[in-house]
Amino acid sequence: MVETKGELKQPSLHHPSSDFSEEIANEPGGEDITKCIQCGMCTASCLVAKYTDRYRPRRLIQKILLGKREEVLNSELPWLCMTCRLCEERCQEGVSLPEIFGAVRKIAAREGKIPNVFKSTASLVLKDGWMLKDTYTDFIEDDRDDLGLDTDLNWDDDFVKKIKKKYFKEDKTR
Amino acid sequence: MREFALYLGCTTPVRLPQYEASVKAVLEKFGIELTTMKDANCCGAQYVESLSRPAFAALSGRILALAEREGLDILAICGACSGSLKTVKHELDSDRYLRSEVNDLLKDEDLEYTGNVHVKHLLQIFQEDIGYNAIEEAIVRPYKGIRLAAHYGCHVTRPYEIVQVDDPENPTIIDRIIEIAGATAVDYVGKTRCCGGPMLAVDEPVANKIGMEKIENLQNVGVQGLVTACVFCEIQLTQVQFGEGLDPKNRVPVLSLPQFLGPAIGIDMNALGTYLNKIPPDNIFASLAEAK
Ligand code: SF4
Ligand code: SF4
Repeated sequence: MVETKGELKQPSLHHPSSDFSEEIANEPGGEDITKCIQCGMCTASCLVAKYTDRYRPRRLIQKILLGKREEVLNSELPWLCMTCRLCEERCQEGVSLPEIFGAVRKIAAREGKIPNVFKSTASLVLKDGWMLKDTYTDFIEDDRDDLGLDTDLNWDDDFVKKIKKKYFKEDKTR
Repeated sequence: MREFALYLGCTTPVRLPQYEASVKAVLEKFGIELTTMKDANCCGAQYVESLSRPAFAALSGRILALAEREGLDILAICGACSGSLKTVKHELDSDRYLRSEVNDLLKDEDLEYTGNVHVKHLLQIFQEDIGYNAIEEAIVRPYKGIRLAAHYGCHVTRPYEIVQVDDPENPTIIDRIIEIAGATAVDYVGKTRCCGGPMLAVDEPVANKIGMEKIENLQNVGVQGLVTACVFCEIQLTQVQFGEGLDPKNRVPVLSLPQFLGPAIGIDMNALGTYLNKIPPDNIFASLAEAK
């Protein structure tokens, strides 16, 4: 970790580091994790935190900094972030929590730890090429027709098969 | 005249076709030509995005490459899609390894991403390509005496360094157009906060509380309607108002920006599909002046 010389704060007190935080820092999006000073501004500005006690973004960052790898990767909490980026606007240290939680999700996904809704929706996209094939009913087709819109939505479902084969071989999205 | 490749995304054509119709009608009136993209795929937002960086880059990258082949810039009308396409463009422009990995996958279809394509969200078309003056000149039936609020959408305006649409802490594009069309734009607490949409599939009760907080903040300042620029926000902020125990009388109609602007520039209501809106916006349209 690079520290600026002559800083008033004792960096070691504010910058706990662990193998796991290094792992996150090496994942795209996770680079800034060690800049967090645990001020709590993110939790204070987060609407998910406001309406559910189980979600505390600052605390989740703390767990990563303290190296609680298995606990964090097995938890649904990193998947609750809406990526609304309000906390990111507010964080004085330039930490982006949605980016960090994105890095956590990717490590978890590689180990097959994916919440069901993410698994099932991703697998739908990787099968049909888009998300709402089963929702597209005759009624909606009629609405489109009435509006003068094309009723053939022209989605391509070949490319996604290639993507599935290359990146989801072990079929963690099943 | 400018021409764009219109990327509809998964949600608009199925869940909010009136948004698609009104975008087309309004932009056409301003001389913007749109070609709806064919043989596209989902941009990968939120779900594939969360699981694999290269898979997400490939999905959005293919959409960028499709438009590049047509020689057109992309117009995205969904916050999630515009955010994804801009983010992936940014990544492909700055990471040549990722770019060649994506291009490898695109080869079979004779597609290639070279960076020669730009992505705009609908709000940018209004501000940059049409401009406030042209909007003002086009008004033939101004609104009068109606108070409306704007909701911009998180993925439309954040992160600014990548999306470059409007000031993320104090966005103004929708508000200015509300005023230009003769209505009063009203500020409210939590204007830049999330609608809760991304939470819907993950934890519905929490999503509903987040959405309802916004609706209550709107009711507190006494507005007659809400104007949006993202399909997810519009659907979410509409559906939360149908929750159990809520008085239907207190519902705040939600309109997309082109649905709001359309009647004021003389476009027929039916072409804007306002009859499909779940909360009838009649009170808003009642404040329009008679056609000149
Ligand atoms: S606002 Fe920034 S510095 Fe403060 S706790 Fe959150 S991430 Fe850390
Ligand atoms: S980006 Fe995530 S953690 Fe930050 S405020 Fe939004 S939901 Fe909360």
